[in-house]
Amino acid sequence: MASNMKIKTSSPQFQGGIKSACNSVKQRALSAVPNLELSGNINWINKAGEKISSAEQRLILGASALMTQPFIDANNKKVDEKTRKVSVARTIAKIVAGTATGFIIRKACIKGIKAMSQPRGANVPKWKSLFTPKNITKTNTDAFMQYRNAMGTIVALVVMMFTNFLIDAPLTKFLTNTLIKKQENK
Amino acid sequence: MSNLFSGFKSSLYKNYGENPGKMLVHTGVLGWILSSLAQVSAVVFNDKISPEQKSFLIPQEIADAGINIASFYLITSSFKNIASKLVSTGKLTTKGIKNALSKDDVKKIGKLDFNIGNLNNVPDSYKPFKNGVDVVASTIGSIISCNIVTPILRNQYASKKQKQALANMHNNYELAAPRGISMSQYQKLSSIKYSSSSSLKV
Repeated sequence: MASNMKIKTSSPQFQGGIKSACNSVKQRALSAVPNLELSGNINWINKAGEKISSAEQRLILGASALMTQPFIDANNKKVDEKTRKVSVARTIAKIVAGTATGFIIRKACIKGIKAMSQPRGANVPKWKSLFTPKNITKTNTDAFMQYRNAMGTIVALVVMMFTNFLIDAPLTKFLTNTLIKKQENK
Repeated sequence: MSNLFSGFKSSLYKNYGENPGKMLVHTGVLGWILSSLAQVSAVVFNDKISPEQKSFLIPQEIADAGINIASFYLITSSFKNIASKLVSTGKLTTKGIKNALSKDDVKKIGKLDFNIGNLNNVPDSYKPFKNGVDVVASTIGSIISCNIVTPILRNQYASKKQKQALANMHNNYELAAPRGISMSQYQKLSSIKYSSSSSLKV
């Protein structure tokens, strides 16, 4: 009986039924959303897609984190006051160190990749096209700019495997201790 | 090796060149994994943080990492996917894009299987608009997940862990009920001990 059930659930009819039920739910949800036609200046949306790379996103995340996370930690009544203060200090230190190094390294790597992903040509040194994919002749297309951002971010992540330990962690430790000292001197 | 690198570049161009929002989600997850590893070790090796505080901060970091990665992926990719679907089906559009669609296509707006990006004549302004909405949605999703959901959830988890760790550290076990003695024996023993006191009631 159980094996019969198994055969039935894996049958194309059963799978098709599940898929069509899912699609029906999705369609209902989509239909519930009102049509929204943007008019006026929507240039900022296009610019966001063009300009916000992982570096800018890290900066936005860091700035907004400073506005919310220390406040959430300071209001965590489930721990004693001393722990709460250390937690706030550490959160601030972590955000500052992580955002600063994250932004700088991502930005530098994206710039570096841009310099090393020029279109191939007779007068272009080989290292300048090291990161250029095959069959690329135009570098001013949106897709190619996004490729540079993606490649730069991936290189940055490799770099950050080391800098997280060499810069981030010691800087967080230093900032945490400085902030704790300041709190104790108050 | 050269072919492998060449293939990697082509696949990156193909996957992320047209989809910056997806790239932000994927690289964001990888970034959180790497930075969490470093942050946990920063607390473990910081001598100036007391063991009591470490008992809170280490689980806080581990919870932060786990919750951050899970919520970042779930919330950010959901935001991105929903925004992407709204734009591709024409639910969220611009005047320019709508005007460039044929009458038949306008009728299909809001249908699940309709995708403006698959049309023969994709309006020029469609791709930059879709990429922009994807990036804005994934940025909003990441702010909500990393800066609101994660800190609240990780604090809940870490404070529970701290209580457990502190209890173990101070051998703060609950007093167990006396065993091997019955109530009548206990009453007998206490009556012998406090025989001079008539006020004792057991």
